[in-house]
Amino acid sequence: MEVTWNRNSLLGLEELDVNEIKLILELSKEFKENLSKKQKPSKNLEGKRIVNLFMEPSTRTRVAFEIAAKSLSADVISIASKSSSLTKGESLKDTALNIQALGADAIVIRHSSPGSPLFLSKTIPVPIINAGDGSHEHPSQALLDIFTLQEKLGTLHNKNITILGDILFSRVARSNLWGLQKMGANVTLVGPSTLVPKGFEKMGATVSHDIEKSLSKADAVMLLRIQHERQSSSHFPSLEEYTRIFGLSIERSALLKKEAIILHPGPINRGVEIDSTLADSKNSVILEQVTNGIAVRMAILYLCTTNSIR
Amino acid sequence: MKNLYLKNAYVVDPASKTDGVKDLWVEDSKFVRIKSKKVDTEYEVLDLTGKTILPGLVDLRCHVRNAVGGSQENIKSVSQAACAGGFTTLLVMPNISPFADNPGSIRYINECASKNAAVNFYLAGALTDNMEGRSLSPIGSLKESGVLAITDCPLSTQNNEIFVKGVEYASMFDLPVIDLPRELSLSKNGSAHDSVVALSMGLGGYPRMAEEIFVQRSITVSKYLDAHIHLSSISSKGSVELINDAKNKGIKITADTTPHHLCLTDEKIRGYHTNFKTHPPLREEEDRESLVSALLDGTIDNICTGHEPHQDHLKKAEYDLAPAGVTSLDTCFSAIYTQLYGKVENLPYKLAEWLSYNPSKIIKKESANIQPGSFADFIVIDLTEEWIYSAPDSLSLSSNNPFDGCKLRSIIERTYVGGELVYKKP
Repeated sequence: MEVTWNRNSLLGLEELDVNEIKLILELSKEFKENLSKKQKPSKNLEGKRIVNLFMEPSTRTRVAFEIAAKSLSADVISIASKSSSLTKGESLKDTALNIQALGADAIVIRHSSPGSPLFLSKTIPVPIINAGDGSHEHPSQALLDIFTLQEKLGTLHNKNITILGDILFSRVARSNLWGLQKMGANVTLVGPSTLVPKGFEKMGATVSHDIEKSLSKADAVMLLRIQHERQSSSHFPSLEEYTRIFGLSIERSALLKKEAIILHPGPINRGVEIDSTLADSKNSVILEQVTNGIAVRMAILYLCTTNSIR
Repeated sequence: MKNLYLKNAYVVDPASKTDGVKDLWVEDSKFVRIKSKKVDTEYEVLDLTGKTILPGLVDLRCHVRNAVGGSQENIKSVSQAACAGGFTTLLVMPNISPFADNPGSIRYINECASKNAAVNFYLAGALTDNMEGRSLSPIGSLKESGVLAITDCPLSTQNNEIFVKGVEYASMFDLPVIDLPRELSLSKNGSAHDSVVALSMGLGGYPRMAEEIFVQRSITVSKYLDAHIHLSSISSKGSVELINDAKNKGIKITADTTPHHLCLTDEKIRGYHTNFKTHPPLREEEDRESLVSALLDGTIDNICTGHEPHQDHLKKAEYDLAPAGVTSLDTCFSAIYTQLYGKVENLPYKLAEWLSYNPSKIIKKESANIQPGSFADFIVIDLTEEWIYSAPDSLSLSSNNPFDGCKLRSIIERTYVGGELVYKKP
């Protein structure tokens, strides 16, 4: 396959074409093989300075980007801030200019405002990697989900993927919706009408509020965490009612195809969106997702920084 | 003051139902029927062949940040931007610094205006103290200080009791209440119209419902109190339907919309362009079309600029954190003319109605008209000139204008207030 990567930044999957996605996945596969052979860190990004700028709490994503960067021999600096820089009086633009002045070769940013990675990429000539921007996109998560799905299902063409939970506030759902459809999969979004508005149909998804119906035809189910912190109490009455109507219980899991796989981007609320034993069952690939996340992020860092114009 | 002899201009004036080529004379700041001076040398003669004269434009919603000085929009800068856009009368919203919610502040602001404003500068007084929606401001005293309307714009009083009492009390003084209809609990997290555009961008929605529920509130209040309420900056098709229905029933509702809602849709915000973040938000094509139709059939009475200047560094920020609002005074006429050119018959005459004659009636000002005895507030326009608007070159101190870089048709060449030239195209 002849694909060239002409981007400095990875802002989202909406803007990528299918060949660019496939290129990341192929490179991820190579990195994963190297990692599994426990080879010494490759020197690909030796001397490069990667800044992790996390303005929202994160464990998995931040650590995975750190390990990925270190596995490529890059230097990593992590800046965590509980609040947006604006509330401290410094604008995001000024923060970015400062980080640029400190000689960053790439910035991995997580921020509560949708579009903030794009804003940064227009402000400074440093590669920007979106590690989650509000409810907008979380491309590295969706890419590792797609990578994991491909490992388990082979091609994604015509496969039925059900994403279940809080779709409205989910950047993971949006990035997966763009990415999975580009890979040829059919995406069904399931959850209460207040969290899965009909508008998603205009983005190509099937919208359903009937969990039983959508489980039976699914080749994979991706569960999303119910994010209490983002929702006002008006989106659904209680966690108990949510679990009763939309939780993936043992009984409901019997409706799944035998080989159907279960994904979750984490962190899991055991007993809320998924029964605890299902999270640990053989159908669950939740921990494999985490491991794959390192290889996928190595591929992203490699592609964005080695093509960078500085 | 020099007298003026304006030759051969195409004169458009809804007040006198004028729509054709004629000569005009201005003496001692007013239009006169026949020139009184014997020799032409006592006049400044302007041959305006091919140009169009309109009465000065009247804006019913414009925001100013400071009374004087500072790096933010002040009375002087807003007045200059207004003149460049052909506006000779401004109704300034009360969220200026200091707030126009007490007679002392209003007198101070008006004093600043008398020194710094080249245009007719009027204030709308606040409906509630500090515009907080809790208790009524001294509306009677505000009237005595010269306000022409009462409003908490850009906010809308959320408490129904306060709103109803405010309308009832203001109507005693024959003051219209202006409401920019926005139910806040449905829209407080919303930075964009809640269409698929906002959904795909991960932005919180400001739905049509949030506007329409409060449009209905004003209609109901106006009906029961028989009081005049003016709805400002209408953006949704559903609001147009409600207003049309109310007007058919004889309810005393008037309404306006803005140039950006007549020309643009929410597709523009893709890419998180904060200079298209407006208040209310840009909506869909069906809304835009409905607003144009509503102007043509009289459901919507006038166009306000909704001029909301914001400093550059505040707009160059994350989309959801950047303030809503765009500047508009110096592009309003040209943007609408460009948008509707070739689609609306007798467009200059209609624009004179929407931007001058109708808004004057709403604030009960016998403002700009081109009749003998009237103050000579008028503008000279070249309707054929095409030009590229550059926001950084604006006379406004802010450049958050959505038409930056756009090619516009028609340009304001001269603006006169009381026969005095206050703006001339560079």
